[in-house]
Amino acid sequence: MPPVKPQWRSLEELAQDAQFLSRVEQEFPGLVASISAPRDRRQALALMAASLALAGVGLGGCNGAPEGRLIPAVRSPPGIVPGTPDYYSSAHVEGGYAAGTVIKHFMGRPIKVEGNPFHPASLGATSPMAQAELLNFYDPRRSWGVTRANLPQSRSALEQALAEQRARLATTGGAGFVILTGASTSPTLAAQLDALRKSYPQIRWLHWEPIGRENVEKGFALAYGARLELKLQIQNADVILAIDSDLLSAAPGHLNFAREFASRRNPTRAKMNRLYAIEATPSLIAAVADERFIAGPQDSHRVLRALAGALLDAEPVEGPPWLDRIVSDLKANRGRAFIHLGPDHPPEAHALVCAMNEALGGRGTVYTLLEAATHASSDDSLSLSALIPDMRADRISSLLIIDSNPVYAAPGALDFAEALRQVDFSLCLSATPNETTDASLWAVPMAHPWEGWSDARAFDGTATVMQPQALPLYQGLEPHDLLGLLLRPDPPKSLDLIRETWRVPLGAKDAWIDALANGVVPDSIGPVSNRPLSNAVARIRPPEPPSATPVLLFRPDPYLLDGRYADNPWLQELPRPLTKISWGNPLQISPKRAREMLLHDGDVVRIAVDGAHTKAPIIIAPGQSDDCIVALLGFGRSHAGPVGQNIGVDFFKLMGRSCCAPDVQKTNAREELASTQHHANMFDEQGVYARSGALAQFLADPNFARRNEEPQPSFYEWKPQGPAAWGMSIDLNACIGCKACVVACQAENNIPVVGKEEILREREMYWLRIDRYYDGPPESPKVSFQPVLCMHCEEAPCEPVCPVGATLHDAEGLNVMVYNRCVGTRFCSNNCPYKVRRFNYFDFAGEERRAIESRNPDVTVRARGVMEKCTFCLQRIAAARIVADREGEKASAVTTACEAACPTRAFTFGDLAEKGSEVAARRAGPLSYALLADQNTKPRVTYEARVLNVDEPKETKK
Amino acid sequence: MTLLQAQLARDISAEGRPPHENDPIVAPEQTLSSMTSQICAPPLERTWPLWWKLSLAAALVFVFILVVAIGWLFYAGVGIWGIDWPVVWGFAILNYVWWIAIASGGTFISALFYLAEVEWRSALNRLAETITIFAAACAAIYPILHLGRPWLFYWLFPYPNVMGVWPQFRSPLLWDFVAILTYVVSSILFWYYGLVPDLATMRDKAGAQDKRRFYGVFALGFRGSQNAWRYYRIGYGLLAAAMAPLVISVHSIVGLDFAGAATVGWHSTEFPPFFVFGALLSGFATVMLLAIPVRRLLRLEDFITGRHFDILGKLLLTSSLCVGYAYLMEAFTVFYGPDAAEKRLFIDKLTGELAPVYWATILFNVVAPQSMWRRSVRLNETLVVLISLFVIVGMWCERYVIVVMSLRRTHLPSAWGGYTPTIWDWLTLFGTVGLFIAGLLIAIRLLPVISMFEMREVILRNARPEK
Repeated sequence: MPPVKPQWRSLEELAQDAQFLSRVEQEFPGLVASISAPRDRRQALALMAASLALAGVGLGGCNGAPEGRLIPAVRSPPGIVPGTPDYYSSAHVEGGYAAGTVIKHFMGRPIKVEGNPFHPASLGATSPMAQAELLNFYDPRRSWGVTRANLPQSRSALEQALAEQRARLATTGGAGFVILTGASTSPTLAAQLDALRKSYPQIRWLHWEPIGRENVEKGFALAYGARLELKLQIQNADVILAIDSDLLSAAPGHLNFAREFASRRNPTRAKMNRLYAIEATPSLIAAVADERFIAGPQDSHRVLRALAGALLDAEPVEGPPWLDRIVSDLKANRGRAFIHLGPDHPPEAHALVCAMNEALGGRGTVYTLLEAATHASSDDSLSLSALIPDMRADRISSLLIIDSNPVYAAPGALDFAEALRQVDFSLCLSATPNETTDASLWAVPMAHPWEGWSDARAFDGTATVMQPQALPLYQGLEPHDLLGLLLRPDPPKSLDLIRETWRVPLGAKDAWIDALANGVVPDSIGPVSNRPLSNAVARIRPPEPPSATPVLLFRPDPYLLDGRYADNPWLQELPRPLTKISWGNPLQISPKRAREMLLHDGDVVRIAVDGAHTKAPIIIAPGQSDDCIVALLGFGRSHAGPVGQNIGVDFFKLMGRSCCAPDVQKTNAREELASTQHHANMFDEQGVYARSGALAQFLADPNFARRNEEPQPSFYEWKPQGPAAWGMSIDLNACIGCKACVVACQAENNIPVVGKEEILREREMYWLRIDRYYDGPPESPKVSFQPVLCMHCEEAPCEPVCPVGATLHDAEGLNVMVYNRCVGTRFCSNNCPYKVRRFNYFDFAGEERRAIESRNPDVTVRARGVMEKCTFCLQRIAAARIVADREGEKASAVTTACEAACPTRAFTFGDLAEKGSEVAARRAGPLSYALLADQNTKPRVTYEARVLNVDEPKETKK
Repeated sequence: MTLLQAQLARDISAEGRPPHENDPIVAPEQTLSSMTSQICAPPLERTWPLWWKLSLAAALVFVFILVVAIGWLFYAGVGIWGIDWPVVWGFAILNYVWWIAIASGGTFISALFYLAEVEWRSALNRLAETITIFAAACAAIYPILHLGRPWLFYWLFPYPNVMGVWPQFRSPLLWDFVAILTYVVSSILFWYYGLVPDLATMRDKAGAQDKRRFYGVFALGFRGSQNAWRYYRIGYGLLAAAMAPLVISVHSIVGLDFAGAATVGWHSTEFPPFFVFGALLSGFATVMLLAIPVRRLLRLEDFITGRHFDILGKLLLTSSLCVGYAYLMEAFTVFYGPDAAEKRLFIDKLTGELAPVYWATILFNVVAPQSMWRRSVRLNETLVVLISLFVIVGMWCERYVIVVMSLRRTHLPSAWGGYTPTIWDWLTLFGTVGLFIAGLLIAIRLLPVISMFEMREVILRNARPEK
């Protein structure tokens, strides 16, 4: 067995924590021995180590056996029909902004997150993080008791302490009392904070996000003199210029933008828009862009000034040669053109882009401006860097940290932890123990958002009332309760607060019920602002970026974000879209710079910025600017659970340094990078698999992607028999590589996480993977994404080779796996040209130790030694069949998990035999082609080739 | 002085006699009785020399390792091996093919050359058949170990069950299961059947009661009557006639395990004959490799002579040429055919990171045996051992190329992967080598190492000048 990995040091710590053990022992004497016993292999996955045990604590009731007579449930609870799922609306909140979700429950337990089609920020889709929230909810590591100085305390002790704070607030009027919390759009929270200020006029609060959007907000404030929010109608844009943009991946409302953007990408269905991307480091939007240009920080500064010169009345500046074409394209599409700038650019640049967009005349058609949905900090001058001198100088006596982790995520230069020690009373409300709970005087368990009432707004202001999804698993306190406790000892319940907030629109019982059922408060969209642009904006000059090269750029990890999801195994393991790396965050270095420094993937470098330094492996990022090195944030948590602890490198500590040119030195060490795609970056014939062409090519010959690929005669001819012929069409024009489908598939189908060690041994279990192909030179390649899942071939090569007949066809064309029958010869996998079959080399599902309640009860959990693969969500088809049988019809409306989660509707699943079904229409479309058609497998999954809105296929420019 | 020592002392003239080109098929001084007492002597000996004890002890250590490796495998799962995605077949299949090919030599020499009435066969067939049964036993372990759920291996068997579920007859693995089972069972039968008259001799020669009982029980009451011999001969001929095609079919079906799949690098009609060639090459190499120490240690210079070396060397050379032809044809069909993935794989074999394995295959299996064109090489014990070893290693490399290298490079480049065997892969391989050697050592300790009843005919025939 390989040696024990460091991540389970934390387990031992946990096991050796006397406090913890004694508390457990009181209730479960046998458990202590099992927890403190040494554990074997793959501790990352014993993850949820104390898992079941603790989950049992939560679910079984903390107070031991209840007293009195127990009455069995002769009548089941209202609304629950055994064996059928229920759905309740909720919202997934990220950076304060809500995206509507619908949580699927089974016998009262949440088991799956779906998007809410009524919600503008979801439109039925979800992000990977929203899907993975399920594991956060069931995380056995969640805090479950109040601690003071890391020693357990009773709830009454906390109430006592808060009473003292109340008394103090009353005498000081709130001076020296600061509430630090993440960005928030919750009207109720805002009302509570405002009420606090009414009682204690000098109280301050700071809405702070480690990876915030204050550049954007300040830019709008500069441009319009007010806190405004951008609402895009991107489907109206004909030309889009994205500069270091996160429009499709992280910007508030990105699921909505992705949907609208993708609705104009397939030339068989709509007039194509055109997307130019200019950026320093490869991102999703550039992967789907028609043309991509590489610009380091210096270059993009020049690009912005040149654009300003061309579009505004600013002084003309010479831009890169390719910019003229973009400018003329933008100008030619005045009124239907839009420029989007990423949040890493300074406020002045954002203000300038606001002015350019005004000049392009898209306001009202392509975008509108709304009043900001986020709540402002108590005063504009307040920021984390302003707070810290106050903390150091003892001007802050009490600090309340709500659902934020500044000790980990504050820029290292600020040394928040040290400042926190100067504060007399610090209290951290957090759902899991983390760096900040550890450093705070009081640590209070926070209720998971699914355990209490709250509300939140979407990017366009649409409000959602979030209802509890389950009885609390742990004794968490809701943020609303905590704020209430600052006012009075018996604060109103959060439900009452929420109802009070929404008394006017949702006062009537029906309105309230409808709002909860639909997951949106009707007509709550933010008011449109008609503010004109300030006159001086066009003359703003963004500050010069640092001249030193390379610049160290910090970007959030696409899935762990600022580290808040570091404990989530689904998101840790999810391969990053472009690098395909899981369980780690190597520094991204451009191919040229890596060549110069003789660096290869996995070489460890020592990187020092202004005195602070760390060691990290590198990965060569094709298409990255030579002027920058990119560090992904969110990893290297020092106080997280066994999943996230010490995985990757913490780059927050290099942040906030004045000098930006890092000193990078090669070391002799190497680290293996866990990647799920191993082939060399460049590959001659990628065009055969993920096909693409230029729009001109398509217009000349709509069938350009089809080659002479008619099915050949077959020895074992199989004729479709059943009433339905299930099939899928995947639109490569729409796929943006976000991987929401992969997590949705994992959640729906109980797909286990295997851990870094097994990823290194190439044993990932994903039924659905997003292949990434590069072509062109490594310095600026074109990227193609291709979702690959079981093709459900009509002539499935896996079937004739199985000696026990464990994989076979059903009448409706599904290639089904009989897990019970599988003896594990793995011949089917050898014979699968698409390599979509996955094998349980170990008891992956058993070792996962995931709370049983969180699994999908309709899907078998696979045992060791068994092959598995995509079933086209057979359980969903079966459910539809049952409904159809009851109504005497043919099952047709089935949505697979991947299809449901996809923000861009890249997947279309349905009955090919049904005349007029969308999947049949797409399959018949001119762009449709089958993967590896020469293998004569007659796959039921087809792809629509990607068309780029360019005159002829071109490589990206430098 | 023990019987064995006396025997050795008597044959001191033969000691260390190297093979010579003018050697007869059997030393002329050997008579029926001298041969019988010489072959019967070792198994009847009370104690055996140190070399035997030491090598048995060493082999048993590896058997123990094998038991541990299998125990851990059953406990932890096939994940302890290096197999991954997409290389889902690894050492288990590779070693299986390797062993079953080694087993082929015995059957080929015993059965096919019996039918061809070749008289040099009589000195080697017992040894070759013993090699066959132990190699086949080692091979037969692997397909079961290979399974993800090995305790369900019997599901491959078409047995009646209440569910009415049958195996899937289109799968080459099922054919393989049947072929191997048939081969192992009939090899054991053939070997045992060939032993019966010699066991009877042993029974008659053994002085001690326990030994008489032991050999007597297994001799099945064979008395050497005219009738018994007549029926025995008919039976033996029938068995040989059944075994000879079996050796071809079993390796063809092993080839079909691969050729029956649509996998890149496997999907080729040349695989069945290719696998037969490979099996013969490794079979002859193994017989040669083991005949040399057995000849030396058991003083069989009179029976395994220069003639045998000469013939085995020529057979090795012939099968090596066949294998070389198959390699050439493989390259030809790849580049003649239209499949880009096949070409990509072949170029990867020639030049990729694992190219040394491919070139080692060529060097060991085709180039090195060419030295056998020279008679002096065929008769040089050291060189023969070396070349046989090369071939045995080379054949293992060939299977590595087929199994591992092909699976690494599938149709879709996005699914390309690597393969690194773990310590458990290696321990299982070495463990079966230990099992094979232990089996062989115990067999030569207990049984006559040369088929005496057939050797008698050779001696008689050679004594008659008119023959």
